Amino acid sequence: MTLPRRGLGRIAIGLVATGLVLYPLIGSANAYRETVLIQIFLLAVMAGGWNIISGYTGYVSLGQSAFLGIGAYTVGILSMHVAVSPLLLAPLGGIAAALIAIILGAVIMRTRGHSFVIITIAFLFLMQALALNLPGITGGSNGITLPLPDWSNDTQQLPFYYSLLGLMALSVALSWWIRRSKFGTGLIAIREDEDKAAAIGVRTSVYKILSFTASAVLIGVAGGVYAYFLTFIDPRGMFDILVSVQIVLAVLLGGRGTLWGPVVGAFIILPLSEATNASSQGTHFVLFGGLLMAVVLFLPQGLVPTLNAFWARRRGEPSPRRPARVAAEPVPVAPYEDPHDRDGLPLLELEALVKRFGGVTAVDDCSFEVRRGSITGLIGPNGSGKTTIFNLVSGMARADSGRVLLGGERIDLMVPWERAYLGMGRTFQITRLFRQMTVFENVVAPLPGFSWRQLGADAVSGPEAVRAEELLDFVGMAEFASHQAGHLSFGQQKLVELAQILMLDPSLILLDEPAGGINPTAIDRMTDLIVKLNQRGVTFLIVEHNMPMVLGLCDPVMVLADGRCIAQGHPHEIQANPAVLDAYLGRGWGEATERLEV
Amino acid sequence: MGRRGSKLLGILAVVALVTAACSSSDDGGGGDGDGGTIKIGASLPLTGDFSQPGGEAKRGYEIWQQLTNENGGLLGKQVELTILDDASDQNTVVSDYNRLISQEKVDLLLGTFSSLLNLPASAVAEKNDMVYVEPAGGAPDMFSRGFTYLFFAQQATATHQGDLFSQYILSLPEGERPTTAAYPTQDDPFAAPVIDGIRAQLEAGGIETVYQTVYPPETTNFDTIASDIKASGAELVAHGAVFEDGIGMIRSFQKVGYSPASFFETSAPSNSSQFSDAIGLQNTEGIFYAVSWHPDTDTPLNAEFVAAYKAKFDGAVPAEDAADGFAAAQVLQAAVEATGGLDQAAIRDYLHANSVDTILGTLSWDETGAPQQAFLLAQWQDGASQIVLPEDLATTDAIVAPKPDWAS
Amino acid sequence: MTHLAQTLILGLLIGGVYALMASGLTLIFGVMKVINVAQGALLILAALFTFELWTRTGMDPMVAILVTTPLMFGLGWAIYRLFVARVRNAPISMTVLLTFALAITLEGVMGVVWKNVFRSVTPGYFTRSFHVGGLFIPQAQLYGCGVALLMLGLLFVFLTKTWSGRAIRAASENAQGAQLVGVNVNGVAAMTFAIGVATTGAGGSILSVLYSFFPASHYLWISRLLGIIVLGGMGSLPGAFIAALMLGVAEALTQTYISTRWATVVPYVVILVVLLIRPQGLMGSKLREDVAA
Repeated sequence: MTLPRRGLGRIAIGLVATGLVLYPLIGSANAYRETVLIQIFLLAVMAGGWNIISGYTGYVSLGQSAFLGIGAYTVGILSMHVAVSPLLLAPLGGIAAALIAIILGAVIMRTRGHSFVIITIAFLFLMQALALNLPGITGGSNGITLPLPDWSNDTQQLPFYYSLLGLMALSVALSWWIRRSKFGTGLIAIREDEDKAAAIGVRTSVYKILSFTASAVLIGVAGGVYAYFLTFIDPRGMFDILVSVQIVLAVLLGGRGTLWGPVVGAFIILPLSEATNASSQGTHFVLFGGLLMAVVLFLPQGLVPTLNAFWARRRGEPSPRRPARVAAEPVPVAPYEDPHDRDGLPLLELEALVKRFGGVTAVDDCSFEVRRGSITGLIGPNGSGKTTIFNLVSGMARADSGRVLLGGERIDLMVPWERAYLGMGRTFQITRLFRQMTVFENVVAPLPGFSWRQLGADAVSGPEAVRAEELLDFVGMAEFASHQAGHLSFGQQKLVELAQILMLDPSLILLDEPAGGINPTAIDRMTDLIVKLNQRGVTFLIVEHNMPMVLGLCDPVMVLADGRCIAQGHPHEIQANPAVLDAYLGRGWGEATERLEV
Repeated sequence: MGRRGSKLLGILAVVALVTAACSSSDDGGGGDGDGGTIKIGASLPLTGDFSQPGGEAKRGYEIWQQLTNENGGLLGKQVELTILDDASDQNTVVSDYNRLISQEKVDLLLGTFSSLLNLPASAVAEKNDMVYVEPAGGAPDMFSRGFTYLFFAQQATATHQGDLFSQYILSLPEGERPTTAAYPTQDDPFAAPVIDGIRAQLEAGGIETVYQTVYPPETTNFDTIASDIKASGAELVAHGAVFEDGIGMIRSFQKVGYSPASFFETSAPSNSSQFSDAIGLQNTEGIFYAVSWHPDTDTPLNAEFVAAYKAKFDGAVPAEDAADGFAAAQVLQAAVEATGGLDQAAIRDYLHANSVDTILGTLSWDETGAPQQAFLLAQWQDGASQIVLPEDLATTDAIVAPKPDWAS
Repeated sequence: MTHLAQTLILGLLIGGVYALMASGLTLIFGVMKVINVAQGALLILAALFTFELWTRTGMDPMVAILVTTPLMFGLGWAIYRLFVARVRNAPISMTVLLTFALAITLEGVMGVVWKNVFRSVTPGYFTRSFHVGGLFIPQAQLYGCGVALLMLGLLFVFLTKTWSGRAIRAASENAQGAQLVGVNVNGVAAMTFAIGVATTGAGGSILSVLYSFFPASHYLWISRLLGIIVLGGMGSLPGAFIAALMLGVAEALTQTYISTRWATVVPYVVILVVLLIRPQGLMGSKLREDVAA
């Protein structure tokens, strides 16, 4: 009946773009409307930049407008000393912004959540203070005046109009490129669950700095152009927190994390700001503050996603289901090739690990080994330190003392993704999938290594797609490939999580309560998978409370109590060990299992 | 259902706010378009940091419009004023003037308040070859860009605002002249040059600078500075203030128990009752300030201006900013009437070549648009402000010196 | 030497007032992990209320505290119920945005109702000082600091000696645990927010005497308060107290011995340095989420 939505959208965008390009050349254009459009383009560029760090990556910054000032001042200062047109100097503004973003990013991307927001606010005001208090360089509160452009009156606006229009197009292009690349998937993974992203091989430190830089560079260039447009810059105007608010409002209204959201938002917010300009004192603020509050409270997704969802609902459910396929062969898993590989040597060694949280010693001088090729169980009463041990091994926590060795190599000082690259995977007690992504996207997200070239690659390549499909078949979740991960049941999520890890070709898999909270059939399935993988050479370390599963599956079994390993050995030895019975199983257990065993 | 409901609510809320915003803006959408009026457009900071003086300047423009229209208008036509709010923001002021020029198509422009806003705004006017008479904005940078359409409607630029004060101090006999001075100033493009100008002149005259500081505009606590000035033992203080800081500094002086024998402050003391209410009427005695205008000076239309202002605004005495607005409009009016039309180039040339009589006195400009006259030196005496210099415009013969101690 | 002592005294006195203002902010954060960026605007609002009382009835601002505190308590409760409660489960950044938007809206409302004019409250003692051994102790600052310490003391007693106060502290440490022992965590959140905003009632009244203010002044105050709670450790009341004193003194010393220019930069530098080097501040608890991976 109607055109496919994608085609309709593209036609609409094409029309608008052509309109914008031709607008100044039409007779009825006037300088005022061009000025408004110039400011819209500028807001769209800044909003696009903000969207990268705060939309895709999830780090909300209230200080991105600082880069506008940085770009503006770079051009302003240079134009005082060099007789080059400021428009040509504008790219240098972008470079300055990028450099400062890299330095700043390296330092502040270590913080999270509200700390990050506060720091960005402080950064903005600090930049303003620097501009004010270093008059020798920046002219202080007097600001810097740039020369008037010397081209004719009729065309005076055009260079600014087209520069900023071009920058806006660049901003959208950058956003589009990021979204469809591996880099973009990594950013979204960081937004959804940063620690999980690190655990599956996303080198979060580099990704975050890059994201921050990408968000700053175009804003810097725009700042340079805009400075020339105003012909006057001063600290208060260039480092204005209200500009940051406009940026946030534009992106939130348009749709955070979407491609066109920032542009749509800019086209709504700026004219609104202009229209309310002539009104009485304070009403302007009330309207904007109120609008932001309304958006945060009632429309946090923004317009674009809401309209998309509305449209999708009208046209019915998308995406056909994939037919279920019977798992034929388990997917070959390459065993870990260690040059020092010798049979029976421990793959994982814990030596005298200690971890304290305030007054509580969660792990107290714990040592044990996991033999290569084994399925080792780790049991113990609640609070004995099992999850903490996992965190120490996988890199989510740092030990106070002691060492962890993987294949003879010391890993306790490594960041989580490096441990992933060495072949260690880990699941979580409460599954951590990227809920907004589809099952398929989740499985393709892990990265077995880091390279700069890989960042720019397509989010999903051919071989990866094939492998992901095979792994999903293997765990039996193939028919759910295009479902949103957040919609799956708990047991289904566990299977997907396992598939995720298998993408990394791990030699060691840490399973945190794989049988917890799922039905018996699913438990059997899980056990089945573990056995199959183990036959192919994958070593397992499993934390579990489900005793029949542990005792039937694992050999050896380690027992943890009060943060240390109190016993280890074959399952039947553990069952009979009085210390273990004392600490955990309780005296009645031994008799109960005797009754169970035939 | 709940989620859909809240999304619907969200869209409704947004639509409602947007509609409210658009409908509340309305005005400025072009007048009746009849050729029988002359449209003058201006932007002023009616909200934000400069809203106080901005509001006053608006009143000044409005009183001028009222008086002019009552007397037959400009070139026989009624004057229509379009005033936009730039919210003390530079981006807004640029689009405001673009809008006035291109959208509203006004015949004449008047300036906004504060150098920070007038700097970008005057560039828009210059790019569009329109005369730009500004009521305020005397920072040196305004006049160093080679603009030809710009005119500053006060007597002198910032650096020379304190000339008469310096001259007065240096004219005092040995025993009475202060020997040490302190120069605190806000980091403001207008206030700071005034104090720099005074300091240069007094240092050249042999008065030792024992303290100077530049504080950021956000400073709200002046106790430490006051304490430091007191510790320096300065006999004269020349303070570059905007408004709130002027009040704050005086209060801090009172708190630390320090009263300079000679005290000059920019801007704040010219705000008549707001100033005296804030620091206490008795405490105003002897404070010097430079001002562009005084209600009692015998200058053309001054009495009418004061009377009309009082009648319209509940008997309040006009603030200096209102008078500056009025004067700027007078300058424009004089040039329009002298050239008999609205040709911007002719108006520009006229103003460069001639002087104009305003309620501030006679004004004339050099080729950069900077005025050539001198500010009035005023002093608070007996709870009222008086002009003490220059003598031909003075409203009193007496000069209070030294400044008495704070009254508390 | 006297000069140094004078500077320190001024810094400490102001620090005491800062402490009261910051206490509400850190309390709200401690329980709800919400940064109420609107705290500065609420301070100004309370100051304007005090101004109204002063001009209409001549009520002394220190006495007005008895009126403004309950008034702001009610306002805080309303704000929580109407707005903050809805975003309790949203990401932290959304709550920051919400309170920021609230701050701007409040600034607009204040501008419409009271106009953008500088105001201050001027009772007789606002420019008088006590002279003690060569030093000047401004009366307004002394009274203000005294009242601030009194209010802080009352707050402290409330938190440690009453059931409600203990419920608040329990919910602050461990919301789930508190719920398990029967604490109505939602009600506690509302009360905490209301109390946090109520402190701005007293803080604002004191502010009205010490400083001129107008609606846009709130940015200065929220920057300062953020610096204080970051330094003290977000959520720690004793930490906020010590940090407030430190900041007051640091500002005074910077103003005198370095330059006035850089004094206003102190809060931002504090924020950056503390959040990067020791995110939990002086006395905050180290959140497990803050561990840098």
